[in-house]
Amino acid sequence: MAFIEAEGLTKTFTVRKKREKGRLLREKTRVKALDSLNFTIEKGELVGYIGPNGAGKSTTVKLLSGILTPDGGTARVNGLVPWEQRRQHVKRIGVVFGQRSQLWWDVPILDSFDLLRDIYQVPEADYRRRLSELTEALRLEEFLRTPLRLLSLGQRMRAELCGSLLHGPELLFLDEPTIGLDAVSKLALRDFLKQENARHGTTVLLTTHDMEDIAALCSRVMVLGHGRKLFDGALPDLLQRYDTRRIITLRYDGDAALPDLPAGCACAEEGEGYRIDYSPDQIPTAKLIALLQGAGNIRELTAQPQNIDHLIAAMYREMDL
Amino acid sequence: MNAYFTVFRMRWKMELQYRGAVIGGVVCQVFFGLILVSLYRALYASKPQTMPIEAVASYVWLQQAFFRMQLSSDSELMDKIRTGGIAYDLCRPLDLYGYYYVRILAQKLLGSLLRAAPMLVFAFLLPRGVGLGLPVSLPALAAFLMCLTAGLLCTCALENLTMAFTMRTLDSRGVQAMLNLLMMILSGNVLPLTLYPDSWQKVITLLPYAQVLDTPIRIYTGQYALADVPRALLIQLAWVLLLVWAGESMWRRHQKRLIIQGG
Repeated sequence: MAFIEAEGLTKTFTVRKKREKGRLLREKTRVKALDSLNFTIEKGELVGYIGPNGAGKSTTVKLLSGILTPDGGTARVNGLVPWEQRRQHVKRIGVVFGQRSQLWWDVPILDSFDLLRDIYQVPEADYRRRLSELTEALRLEEFLRTPLRLLSLGQRMRAELCGSLLHGPELLFLDEPTIGLDAVSKLALRDFLKQENARHGTTVLLTTHDMEDIAALCSRVMVLGHGRKLFDGALPDLLQRYDTRRIITLRYDGDAALPDLPAGCACAEEGEGYRIDYSPDQIPTAKLIALLQGAGNIRELTAQPQNIDHLIAAMYREMDL
Repeated sequence: MNAYFTVFRMRWKMELQYRGAVIGGVVCQVFFGLILVSLYRALYASKPQTMPIEAVASYVWLQQAFFRMQLSSDSELMDKIRTGGIAYDLCRPLDLYGYYYVRILAQKLLGSLLRAAPMLVFAFLLPRGVGLGLPVSLPALAAFLMCLTAGLLCTCALENLTMAFTMRTLDSRGVQAMLNLLMMILSGNVLPLTLYPDSWQKVITLLPYAQVLDTPIRIYTGQYALADVPRALLIQLAWVLLLVWAGESMWRRHQKRLIIQGG
């Protein structure tokens, strides 16, 4: 049996609209957040979970962490049904909601950690070892005695992550953990997650809008849209289908004008140079460069694949999300 | 069990961080105490009531000193429910009703102890008939403390019931304002319940609000004789049980049909 098994998970929310003029009753619409979702995750996997806003990602996390009860379908995490055996289940999982806080606002974060130790009944020795391991990996030593409210966003997120891992969960749900973080913090967080996964075999389900997170961390990605699973597999396989265009930026010596380019190439002026968006299937890169060289003396030229966000946007468009 | 003690300890630290709020609260409550006592003295000067003025003054000071026990005060908990931060508490291996009950209890107990200690000292130093008098007897003092504890349990259960209600309505300000008003009037904070018409008192003293402070204070000032204590305590405990039961089942029901929106 797989570590996580979800079968036919369905969850519907009722949304009440404001009463329109002349109508007696409020209109209610039912929104299907999840529409018979199936998937399995093996122990130790690092799975990325993406989809546009409102696709049902957070709902999945809330179902699997026992906060919500589904309208239909079943799920088992390590043999337990999260919403039925809630208290047993949650002892073994950790959750980070990127936009909320679990630590107390006014007291030093170490006190919040102590409280979590008592809530999860972690033996003192395990707690000490785990805490020193986590504070070192997340570089938290110097803030342990600082109240949460005095920490920066990046420091806070690291502290939140530490709090969610203190009881040594086998499964970690991360709901947009890198939201609002700067580049350094993001990289540090990714390194940490990789380490944690390698060292303790923690299974991780990562929800994010940051494709770099997925690319750096996840061997497998699931795409969700309108409550249904649209793709499940490796990220490169997903991107291949949409990764059809390349971008060349170049700058000439002096004022050289661009030559006439074949149809299918989109040109734009960018600063002192040009940006050309083309498809290698239509015009081979070497041929295009040769054409560009004919027009003048090229000072710089870079060729690069399309930004991963553009690919995902193209994919969402195609899937009509 | 340990987790509940830790909640207490953290709450204590938090209260100590806001020493300014404690001082502000004490000054405010002392001010109100002085105003109310002067008011009742003026009233008594023209038309004395059956209850002696010394007892009224004691009543007012005890009400003001333990003011923190009455109004709902855990705005952080409210915000958690409103903004969805409660999601974290829902994925803890804890009974939520119990966890929040202890949180509220810690806040009310520590918050009122910190404020009551300096205020009671101050009120004792005031002249007789203006300040706080001694309890009628030593056994009465013991009974007072016992009933005060029962009152504390009662007010916490009341507040936790409001929290359960907030789970449903999300915004609690309306309900809260109404309940606070009821609490102020029916607990004897604005006008001592002992000054209401006798026929009213028969009903009001049975309501949960009167259990919080009015009952213990009446024992302190001798309005309730020692022989009345068992009956009073029984009413208090009945309310505690009823409110805990109602709150717990409401929490359980709302937890089932909970929705956490956005993200």
